[in-house]
Amino acid sequence: MSNLLNTLMQDARIWQGHRQTLTTQPAEPTGYQVLDNQLGGLGWPRGALSECLLEAPGIGELQLVLPLMQRLSRAGKTVFWLNPPHTPYAPALAREGVDLDQVVMIHTEDSGDLLWTLENCLRSPVTGLVLAWPGKLAARDIRRLQLAAEAGSNVCVLFRSCKLAEQSSPAALRLELDAGEQQDLRINVLKRRGSWPGQRCTLALGHRAGLSANESGRVVQGPWSASAP
Amino acid sequence: MLWAYLHFPHLLLDHIRCSRSGGDEQHEENSEPALVVVDHSAQRVLQACPLAQAQGVQAGTRLKTAINLVPELAIAHADPGREQQILAEQARWLYRHVASIVPYPPDGLLVEVGSLEKLYGGLAALWQTLEQALSERHLNAWMATGTTPLAARLCARAGQGQCTADKGHMERHLHNLPLAAAGFDDRTLTRLQRLGLTRLGEVMNLPPAELARRLTPETLARVQKIQGSRPDPQQPWQPPHHFRQQADFVQDIERAEGLLFPLQRILTELEEDLCWRQQDTDSLLLILTHRHHEPTRLRIRTSGPEHRAEAFLNLIRLRFEQHPLPAPVISLVLSVRRFLGREAVAGNDLLGEIPDLNEAWHTLISRLQARLGSDALQQLSPQPDHRPERAWSASEVQRKARPAIQDLSSLPRRPLWLLNGPQSLPEAPVAWYSGPERISGGWWDGQRVHRDYYIAGLAGGQLAWVFRDVRGGWFVHGWFG
Repeated sequence: MSNLLNTLMQDARIWQGHRQTLTTQPAEPTGYQVLDNQLGGLGWPRGALSECLLEAPGIGELQLVLPLMQRLSRAGKTVFWLNPPHTPYAPALAREGVDLDQVVMIHTEDSGDLLWTLENCLRSPVTGLVLAWPGKLAARDIRRLQLAAEAGSNVCVLFRSCKLAEQSSPAALRLELDAGEQQDLRINVLKRRGSWPGQRCTLALGHRAGLSANESGRVVQGPWSASAP
Repeated sequence: MLWAYLHFPHLLLDHIRCSRSGGDEQHEENSEPALVVVDHSAQRVLQACPLAQAQGVQAGTRLKTAINLVPELAIAHADPGREQQILAEQARWLYRHVASIVPYPPDGLLVEVGSLEKLYGGLAALWQTLEQALSERHLNAWMATGTTPLAARLCARAGQGQCTADKGHMERHLHNLPLAAAGFDDRTLTRLQRLGLTRLGEVMNLPPAELARRLTPETLARVQKIQGSRPDPQQPWQPPHHFRQQADFVQDIERAEGLLFPLQRILTELEEDLCWRQQDTDSLLLILTHRHHEPTRLRIRTSGPEHRAEAFLNLIRLRFEQHPLPAPVISLVLSVRRFLGREAVAGNDLLGEIPDLNEAWHTLISRLQARLGSDALQQLSPQPDHRPERAWSASEVQRKARPAIQDLSSLPRRPLWLLNGPQSLPEAPVAWYSGPERISGGWWDGQRVHRDYYIAGLAGGQLAWVFRDVRGGWFVHGWFG
């Protein structure tokens, strides 16, 4: 078989239903064993795009990338936040052990600037992780970003609306995030390279608000709840 | 002492030709029109480029005649102040090769070369270096050596300069110089000519006392200065501690790409200058002059010390892409006033990876800042304040030395998302997890905050950081993302 075809097979660029190749693509552990197991024991793919589809912030989506952010920022890699919908709260990040000197927040005015910035960040060797909230993206643009990510071999996580779950995307990993019982994060793997999709897992992320799993029932009921709108 | 003098017969012309072409002479000859420099009242041609000369325009031709000869003639006006600046630019690069320079405005540079012979291994080698530097810059210069500053100057201006360190040879040459080229004032010149003298040597042979008595003491002083029997102190030039180069265009440049050519030349010059001084810079000022418009001032900043022309050019190109020219440009000035000492490479990595990454970081950040504006990039840091909206700050991106990682786990638990401002709570929370945590402060600066914070779960499964203010209103202030 030709060299080209071999590469396509080994990198699992061609999806083969009957055979699940153990891919050798580079990846970064997510920091959650449960999730890593669902992702073929690898984690976030490096040099490829990952998409997280969610409806609204506050369900633990940052907590999901936090272990990676911690590790990379301490290793001296820069973490870019592109067009975050809210302010990443510096005291909380510092408390979680993220080296804030390595965190750069970028706001762009239009989508042209955003794509340009993303591409530049992805191609640079100093980048460790790019978190982006791109809004609307054409499939062609994602394809371009995918190529840029391959050139730089960085982890790039795009946070997008869960309405896009039905659409196809060139991203290598697509996760649908949803809030579960007891502040858990339910993850549904929509797509991943070299394997069947459809794996589901649940991460207990109650600790992000200082709640342990069994204590979450402890509810402070009081007169104030009545006055809430 | 041995002196050399560089006379630039048409410096302004060379300067403009250099500005408009990318140094590509063949190309220029074909596409650019003939160029002349005219005097202030625009009456006579002072300097004419070879192309104009080929069509019959000479220095001294009336402008009307010149335009009749060459209808598409490009005309530049002479400006004494401008010429002085151009001369200073030449002195600046010349300073790399020789130590003591005396500018003779408007068109000459005097150089002391006696002390350099040993360094260069002979006058011929120095001569070659200078000639090469001149041809790199497309400058025409007449050079001559002399035992006195004035002798060198006269020989050079007469256009008969030679490269020699032989005293007898130089003296013979000086003696043969026509009297008109010796730079006497008109009255003295007439009187000397009436005496039947035609060569400078004949004047120098006259007895000094008679010369002073019959003509003027100033004439004697001049002759003695040429001969070297009277001191002629020179004030050596010191290079200014800033960089400034200007490019003037005869035809207005309408597109930004047209500016990149001359900019590249100037930036290469800057790079050489910085390398030579072992310095870096992090800000350039680019001033574009327009004919009927306020000058555009562009400040180009890099995020870290930089000296490479290519890096600067990329940043400037990005700036031009973002900000198109408001009007056609007639001249551009690039100046650098801020210099930084070049630091020794800090990382002692065997493979040199750390400094490389450092550089890559600066390149990336500079690129982003050039396109997005420096406000678009921010770095976050916690601030010592109780009020959540003031407990963080955003600052311009800087590369810092890595501080010791502090143990911050004793800080209170806070959400990872902070809303840009509190938003009213959209729905009643389904669960309350912790609280109240009272935050009260700001009485000292008028930004009073008095709130009770709770962690609450909303119906959609979101964990929110909500608070109730003094008036009893409920607000979301953050998400536990």
